[in-house]
Amino acid sequence: MKKIKVLMIGWEFPPIINGGLGVACYGLSKALSNKVDLTIILPKTDISFSLNNINFIGLNNIDLNNIDIDNQNYKYEEFANTIEIAAKEFSPYPNAIDKLKNEVLGNNISEATDSNNLFSGNDLYGDNVMLRVYKFADYVAKIASSLEFDIIHCHDWMSFPAGIKIKKQSQKPLLIHIHSLEFDRSGIGSKNWVYEIEKEAIANADLIVPVSNYTGNIAIQNYEAQISKIYPVHNGTEFTAAFHQRKEFPEKLVLFLGRVTGQKGPQYFLEIASLVLKHYQNVRFVVAGTGDQLRDMIENGAYKNIGTKFHFTGFLTKDKVNQLLSMADVYCMPSVSEPFGLSALEAAQFGIPCVISKQSGVSEVLYGALKADYWDVEKMASHVISLLTNNALREALVKDAYQDLKSCSWEKASEKIVEIYHKAI
Amino acid sequence: MSSICLYFQVHQPYRIRQYSFFNIGIESNYFDEELNITILNKVADKCYIPANKLMLELIQKSNKKFRIAFSISGVAIEQFEKYRPDVLDSFIRLAKTGCVEFLSETYYHSLSYVYSKPEFERQIELHREKIVEHFNQVPKVFRNTECIFDNQLAEDIYQLGFKGILAEGVPYLLQDRSPNQLYTNAIHSKIKVLLRNFILSDDIAFRFSNSSWSEYPLTANKYTQWLNVQRHSADCINLFMDYETIGEHQSKASGIFDFIEHFAKQICSKKGFQFHTPSEICEKYDIEGIYDANYTTSWADTERDLSAWIQNTMQQESLNKLYSFREDILSLKSKELLNQWSMLQSSDHFYYMSTKHWADGAVHQYFSPYSSPYDAYIYFINALSDLEIRIAREKANKGIH
Repeated sequence: MKKIKVLMIGWEFPPIINGGLGVACYGLSKALSNKVDLTIILPKTDISFSLNNINFIGLNNIDLNNIDIDNQNYKYEEFANTIEIAAKEFSPYPNAIDKLKNEVLGNNISEATDSNNLFSGNDLYGDNVMLRVYKFADYVAKIASSLEFDIIHCHDWMSFPAGIKIKKQSQKPLLIHIHSLEFDRSGIGSKNWVYEIEKEAIANADLIVPVSNYTGNIAIQNYEAQISKIYPVHNGTEFTAAFHQRKEFPEKLVLFLGRVTGQKGPQYFLEIASLVLKHYQNVRFVVAGTGDQLRDMIENGAYKNIGTKFHFTGFLTKDKVNQLLSMADVYCMPSVSEPFGLSALEAAQFGIPCVISKQSGVSEVLYGALKADYWDVEKMASHVISLLTNNALREALVKDAYQDLKSCSWEKASEKIVEIYHKAI
Repeated sequence: MSSICLYFQVHQPYRIRQYSFFNIGIESNYFDEELNITILNKVADKCYIPANKLMLELIQKSNKKFRIAFSISGVAIEQFEKYRPDVLDSFIRLAKTGCVEFLSETYYHSLSYVYSKPEFERQIELHREKIVEHFNQVPKVFRNTECIFDNQLAEDIYQLGFKGILAEGVPYLLQDRSPNQLYTNAIHSKIKVLLRNFILSDDIAFRFSNSSWSEYPLTANKYTQWLNVQRHSADCINLFMDYETIGEHQSKASGIFDFIEHFAKQICSKKGFQFHTPSEICEKYDIEGIYDANYTTSWADTERDLSAWIQNTMQQESLNKLYSFREDILSLKSKELLNQWSMLQSSDHFYYMSTKHWADGAVHQYFSPYSSPYDAYIYFINALSDLEIRIAREKANKGIH
């Protein structure tokens, strides 16, 4: 059978990674590369980075000034009101939003930015994220017009405008892969411009692939997605060589890992810790990661009574994260809304029993885990205590989670994706 | 002439409530009364009441040719007494026909045989009293929880005065022999062992409404023909299953009631077949061979061993800890403590903790009131921790060390 030609549009990709999106795109495309003919267009690629059978195009490596795109007026005003509301309380990507707000609401929007600089910086979100997203769409569409492909596959909102544009000009089917939605990041009422992009893409897509049933349901309920277009595919996980390391302190360690933003529920982690410590003292809690709520959490003093047992590490490199995983006794993921939650699978690889919120995609594949609603602090805390004090439970969970991991592979995910491609071709 | 032996198991446990860590030492009510009543009502209305009505009619219309046996756990009877006396009455009416035999089992539907012989005997006695009280008959045939069986159990049961015992007809122990005759164990040669014909039993219990089964739909005609094929070599064909099969596991819409009715009528009118109860089978037939259960078997799961209840560390820890309290519980002579400890013994609690194939959403989860085996374990072990604290308090109060 002739290989399907896939034009994939991404945003994050190794070595440029901000969170789970880049990791997932990498794992998936690697597994897809021997099943389809794959071209990936990214805002930025590293010339030293390559994968067999994949044709990478990075805008940072192209002289964009030579690509002629129509001069377009971006209607930023349309989003101006909503973004003001949204940005006060929420932020699509924390470190970007304040600057973005100024930029969008300020007067210098239309001022041309040197296109070549647009995709060569270190932060793909940062300044000008919206301008980047739309310029990206224009350039990618232009490049795509000279490429041959059977289907367009894009990942999350940053690549959706590009996907929609290419679909319109090529008449090829569009698959949108949803790793997370603005609804997850900012909660109910997040009707900002990111939401609008997502909604438009969901309406225009031929196929919608959310990373979990959980996220699929959000798309249906909050974005009016057509059920018949939705085909959830759970993420896989790369094998990590797990190791174990002795701690420098005698207490047990409960770990929170991820961006310190409302979506991830760090405030619930604090409450859980506080409740656990009332009943069980031989434990320390560690928040590994950074984000817009970090200062609040440190400053608000809610943790003061337990400050000696509650720690923040700030941003950690992958090596440091693995080091923490090698010492942790319980992994706690109280996410308010988690499309997937790859880090729970990583913890499971390290033989750490997990307490995860039911509002997560990973809970659909990780049977060997304790679960509770994110707001049910008492249940979460009692799960943590059970795992700290009960070896029989701990052993059973670790063993079962290990079995679950076997069925979470990118190979399986990519096979499903290929089946889904065939539905539109 | 071959006998058809129909036996139905009736059991409802006291399910444990979502007993949190934060309840330990503070609240000592471990059971979810509301849930237990809800489930009892549901099963009573779908199964016990209509099925008993059907059984009574079949007995009356067949001139007492239709005969069946029940084993009803003590905890199920207790719940009928408390919440559904109408169900209990309908069983009593069946008892009065003289065509229904009530078997012996452990009062709490427990695994006590595996963990404590004295406890096992205590529960058999308690159950006997309950059966005599309501049904006015003394059980003569024993049926252990989930058909758990081995040579030594058969021997112990014989020593306790029973003439027969029920067991699963496990293929690798039968070794090509038929389950349709009486056996004895490898230790003694007097106890009569009735073996479940699991293929014919499961055709009704598991496959009846499975539309992807090649024999679907199963009609009484077809089923009677299958029995006929085995008749020439059969003394007794033992069809053992949960009573809840009728109307609950197999819904009314599946046609299970009609099936049972037609099947019963066909057997009653056919030459060459007769319904008999387990005691009658023991009277009527001789032992034809030795069924050497040198290790413990059951009727559960494909493994037909104890792994449904005693496999993972959670189950083992729960059971070991539970039975380690026995001596203290008995010495304290507190009716409440004894009662709660006993209720925690029902095998169901450990079945819910099974992680066997649970990721596939298999049969254990169908029966479980909890969202995962880990939750089942957590609530159980929390309750047990509270019980442990209360035992210690009581001992201190009474000056026992």
